[in-house]
Amino acid sequence: MNAAGAFWDGLTRGWGVDHPAMLALLLLALLPLVATAFRRRGIASAGLVPDDPLSRVVGVGLRLAGAVAIVALVLGLAGLHRREQSVEREGTGAHLVLLLDRSSSMDNSFADRAPTGDQESKSAAAKRLLAEFVARRPHDRIAVAAFSTSPMPVLPLTDHHEVVDAAIDAIDRPGLAFTDVGRGLALAFSYFAEDTDEASRAVLLVSDGAALIDRRVQEALRDAAARTPVHLYWLFLRSRGAQGIYDAPASGEDSAQANPERHLHLFLQSLGVPYRAFEATSPQAVAQAITEIDRQETRPIRYVERIPRRDLVRPAFLVAALAVALLLAAKLAERQLRPAGRGGVKEGTDAIDLRRAA
Amino acid sequence: MSRAAAGTRATGEGLDRQGGLRRDWRFWLLLVALLGIIAALFAPRIVQTGNVRDAVLVIDVTGSMNVRDAQSRGAPATRLDAAKRGARDILAGLPCGSRLGLGIFTERRSFLLFEPAEVCENFAAIAGSIDDLDWRMAWEGDSYVARGVHSGLAMAAGLKADLLFMTDGHEAPPLPGGALPEFDGKPGEVAGLLIGVGGVDPSPIPKFDQDGRETGFYAEEDVPQENRMGPPPEDAASRAGWNPRNAPWGSEAATGTEHLSALREEHLRALAAQTGLGYVALGNAGGLLAAVEADTRPRPVEMRVDTAAIPAVLALFCLALLFGLGATTSRRPERLPTR
Repeated sequence: MNAAGAFWDGLTRGWGVDHPAMLALLLLALLPLVATAFRRRGIASAGLVPDDPLSRVVGVGLRLAGAVAIVALVLGLAGLHRREQSVEREGTGAHLVLLLDRSSSMDNSFADRAPTGDQESKSAAAKRLLAEFVARRPHDRIAVAAFSTSPMPVLPLTDHHEVVDAAIDAIDRPGLAFTDVGRGLALAFSYFAEDTDEASRAVLLVSDGAALIDRRVQEALRDAAARTPVHLYWLFLRSRGAQGIYDAPASGEDSAQANPERHLHLFLQSLGVPYRAFEATSPQAVAQAITEIDRQETRPIRYVERIPRRDLVRPAFLVAALAVALLLAAKLAERQLRPAGRGGVKEGTDAIDLRRAA
Repeated sequence: MSRAAAGTRATGEGLDRQGGLRRDWRFWLLLVALLGIIAALFAPRIVQTGNVRDAVLVIDVTGSMNVRDAQSRGAPATRLDAAKRGARDILAGLPCGSRLGLGIFTERRSFLLFEPAEVCENFAAIAGSIDDLDWRMAWEGDSYVARGVHSGLAMAAGLKADLLFMTDGHEAPPLPGGALPEFDGKPGEVAGLLIGVGGVDPSPIPKFDQDGRETGFYAEEDVPQENRMGPPPEDAASRAGWNPRNAPWGSEAATGTEHLSALREEHLRALAAQTGLGYVALGNAGGLLAAVEADTRPRPVEMRVDTAAIPAVLALFCLALLFGLGATTSRRPERLPTR
């Protein structure tokens, strides 16, 4: 806003204190500039003391030592620390939207039955493998969206993978009725509308089925795909007996109503963005597909690495200790100026320095 | 004895025979300050127990939450906006180490968006997620609030978290006979809080077309005014045109005010009593946080507390005293001793 504000910003960006109110005590640091830890003695005549630059320097130094001790103590008490810093680095990764099917058919096993014994439901397999996938990609910014009867934004693009894991953990809970892929995809594209970063962008659609996409939603998706170039991956968890996305049925039966998966595949191919479909009929096939996606999405990305906050309380106290120790050493070396004739005084240069200092 | 006395006199201003200095008060203050700082440098960190909370926050996104009779930052707002504001307050007010999950409610279920995650580290993501909540996420128009709370409790029990449920308590369709559905769980097994959102005066509910454009308000005939599932009520025989086979609810269409919505505080209190939860009406952030702290279970965590401040304050006090006295007492040097 103004110069002072900018200065204050620059000062506080890297450094901070826990208790700013304590900083008011910094005023105490002015005291050593007007007071001293040494005895003040009068002397008969200023002419007695030769002008001694060394003594002046030592005197100023001791005053400063007092001020430094107080400043360091107050800063230590206020909890001085270097703030968490973020450093931008180059790595490999992507901005990724996980678009997860939360329809109830995901709760069945790949044999399309309620999972029994050692069988894994499709959603549990997806959850386990996606969690591994996310763990292997530490530099990605990941958003999570879910869709079923309606699209649901779950998490905005974030670097914090702990909360992404929490969102992935939620996908094997009982799902809802329908599978509205079209609006789910529209939601996934919308995440990149405000994302101006040049990183590679990808949408990973995980679903076990498809449905008709409304014509208007189709148009909206074509628009979105033209505006935001993304890489599109569809991990199709195919149940036993379900129709595949690659088999073309006999002519006359090839309608979007009868084969929604195949027609979603054709539609996604026609979007004009890089697109790959993976048809997985078992947890092993899902794992292979995810490895392949992991291998594909390795373009450079700028990511932010966090350097954690560093407490500087102990170093501040150490500085204070050194300053006070210096004062104490000077105090121990303090000698008394005595009137002439009292004798027994070994007045060294130290004493002169200190007298001057006082 | 006399020698010692003579020595003292001879040293005058504090010099002893060895030429040393009798230590004055300034020396002792400096020494105490140094010892205090050294003690602060090596002060141990003691372990104290602090309390954090684990909670799942479920927000009602049904149609009645679009009623604009709530307040957000002093301005009129929809109930959903007010609830999101309250959710932000809770997120910001929970101590670090607490975990918060998020879910939405419509139809008869609480639907989990993400499991509880640590609130400080993931603040931006969770706050963004709360901001993105929208009535369009609702997958059905029904609003069985009591069943939603029951399913939310089951969900929270599975996550070992407490339940915070924000709703206006508007059941749509209305409960048959006004009776709460039975609760299967054990009341009080999951702690938590029902948070009532909305005003007390009945207000019209906005209606939206399939593209999400607002097209007016629900009228009396747009919504079911009476739940006609299950057996008819006891007094049905006294209704006009009643026939036990052909018109068990009477022959006339039900009338009522179900198309208007107000915060159903009594219903929510009854639901809270049934399930062992607390109840609070959404108000300012302070009251909301106090209610959350009162009705959720604390999870003790170890917190390390630094004890260095105590000796450091002592040291600072000594230095301030030393230089303060020096500055406030006369600045004139002591007089040159005569004689």
